[in-house]
Amino acid sequence: MAAEKKHIQKEVVIIGAGMAGLTAALYAGRMNLRPLVLESGLIGGQIANATGIENYPGLPGVSGRDLIAAVQEQAEGFGAVIDEFDPIQRVSLKETPKCVETESFVYETDVVIIASGMERRRLPLTEEKKYAGKGVHYCELCDGHMYQDKVIAVMGGGNAAVDAANFLTKYARKLYLVHRSQLRADEISREKLRENKKVTVLLETEIKALHGDSRLERIGILDKTSGESRELAVDGIFVNIGVSPNTTLFKDEIALAADGRIPAGEDCRTAIPGVFAAGDVRQKEVRQLTTAAADGTTAAILAEKYLANRKRGNVLW
Amino acid sequence: MVKVYSISNCPWCDKVKKYLKSKQVEFTECNIEVDEAALDECRKLTDDDAVPVTTADGKNFVLGFDKAKLDALLGLSS
Repeated sequence: MAAEKKHIQKEVVIIGAGMAGLTAALYAGRMNLRPLVLESGLIGGQIANATGIENYPGLPGVSGRDLIAAVQEQAEGFGAVIDEFDPIQRVSLKETPKCVETESFVYETDVVIIASGMERRRLPLTEEKKYAGKGVHYCELCDGHMYQDKVIAVMGGGNAAVDAANFLTKYARKLYLVHRSQLRADEISREKLRENKKVTVLLETEIKALHGDSRLERIGILDKTSGESRELAVDGIFVNIGVSPNTTLFKDEIALAADGRIPAGEDCRTAIPGVFAAGDVRQKEVRQLTTAAADGTTAAILAEKYLANRKRGNVLW
Repeated sequence: MVKVYSISNCPWCDKVKKYLKSKQVEFTECNIEVDEAALDECRKLTDDDAVPVTTADGKNFVLGFDKAKLDALLGLSS
């Protein structure tokens, strides 16, 4: 019989250690709330994989790794504790205190800040599983090195895809960028890609199939403009076709928006008192590193206000 | 001896190494960026083009960071 899990009381539990979660931790730490941050993926979230961030004010060209390491150190310096090896199993948010149950503990907390971010979409082809790690990849930094002097295709047309393509040109002999519509990436990144002679950009083009014996050898693509289908010989593809919010854990607790995000205004307050949503997981129009940091700030400051009001007997949300 | 095949700037490799350290597991890091023999070894072991790869016996391995699989591979308690 499994031992009963230890219950631990907290004032603030932050779910997710991306930019929003770490900024919330930094602010909550400074307000002496001793926040706990739980992260089961990468500390830094999506930007842990970013090779060079050009639009974070004051730090031009900083790598995602360096930026996040600095924010993490800052948050921990103010007393935040980050646990990245104790995955959350379930949450209950509606009652008081709220419960966040991990593999090892049950955290009872007055405030939960959900900053669980987003994850990359998998390639929606049935044969994707067969070739995962054998030609189909989702981490340029981890697996790009395996494609020295090979032919690579990058799927996607946003900033992440174009930046991934620019990064992978240092390994590739030839690189295709394949996107189903027009590029949405910043002009500077697009310009850099266009200038690279190794690169061919295939727009209005969809990937329809993966082929190869034991590993990926070719992809089937459809040119939507001409209606022509053909095969492209590639050694590997890197998929950057967008992201989806990490909200499965909360679907029975909070009414999610149609896109899976958590409805909350600029004050990051959700419909449940004491529960905030911050960063990319919050339903909003602009999702940038800077707005994630802003959300983390807002959520932590209003969490402190909520806790102080409750102590005074004011339970208004 | 536990081996972790990795490259220098790889967030998932960092996570695996950090996890093993947190569990006080001694391991040898094989950087396939600079060690071609290790790259061949890694490819032969997994038949994949991806890291991190963790193995204790050179036969069974875990690709990527998967806490439950690493615990099972290395006999760790969670």
